[in-house]
Amino acid sequence: MAIWDTPSLRLMERTLDAAAFRQKVIANNIANADTPYFKRSDVRFEELLEQAMYVKTIPGRRTYARHIPIGSSAAPVAPEVVTDEKTMMNNNLNNVDIDYEMALMAKNQLRYNVITSQVNHELKNYRTALNGGR
Amino acid sequence: MKLTNGFDISASALTAQRFRMDIVSSNIANADTTRARLVDGRWVPYQRKVVTMEAKKPEPFSSYLSSAMNGSTGEGVRVSRVYEDEAPFKQVYNPTHPDADERGYVQMPNVDILKEMVDLMSATRSYEANVTALNATKAMIAKALEIGK
Repeated sequence: MAIWDTPSLRLMERTLDAAAFRQKVIANNIANADTPYFKRSDVRFEELLEQAMYVKTIPGRRTYARHIPIGSSAAPVAPEVVTDEKTMMNNNLNNVDIDYEMALMAKNQLRYNVITSQVNHELKNYRTALNGGR
Repeated sequence: MKLTNGFDISASALTAQRFRMDIVSSNIANADTTRARLVDGRWVPYQRKVVTMEAKKPEPFSSYLSSAMNGSTGEGVRVSRVYEDEAPFKQVYNPTHPDADERGYVQMPNVDILKEMVDLMSATRSYEANVTALNATKAMIAKALEIGK
């Protein structure tokens, strides 16, 4: 195990993956803003992560990969795609609201930038340690 | 997970919207064309063309790959068909026109300039939105390259 394989870096890595994935989904929504019968999709990740992080139960310690996880699930949180089938925005049953998608994209991009700076910051700490604080 | 896929999605929409603009241009350019096709020895005026779009389905392999990596996105958009507007031609009374019939009426194309302008504006805005999405994807990749610098 490498020294930089910390839970926080792994978590940020997964968040970056989710943001990149969401970017693709939003790009697809915008691309299909004029397609009849198209329904928009979204990526759920942050709320799943929050649910997984604030589990009140005590997780059972597993010493073997095939042990059944007790308490919180040991499976890593993965982003999931949800399609909004209920709403309708246009006469052609399309439900892409271009303004909403643009706002969502800006938000997603900011989130990506924040996490990237945080990763950089953490890596810089290691570099400081490697240089002996110089 | 390949991030450059986002480029393909936006690029497909840019292609589709540009094609839509081309069709609109063709409609506007031919708004007065009375001799578009020769049917049974008679000239038929230009028929307005309309573009339909459909969401691109993922390719089998990439869909298996992405479903293995939990969740797949669409693959963008494509123009499915260009069909001709079946609306009746406009009848204009102009006996001096070479294509006028025996009663002096000329069949003009069923192109409505106002409709075309609205369609053109809509295509332009969609194009701009997709350019913005493409730039956002590019900025994200550039940011990812900065990690560890």
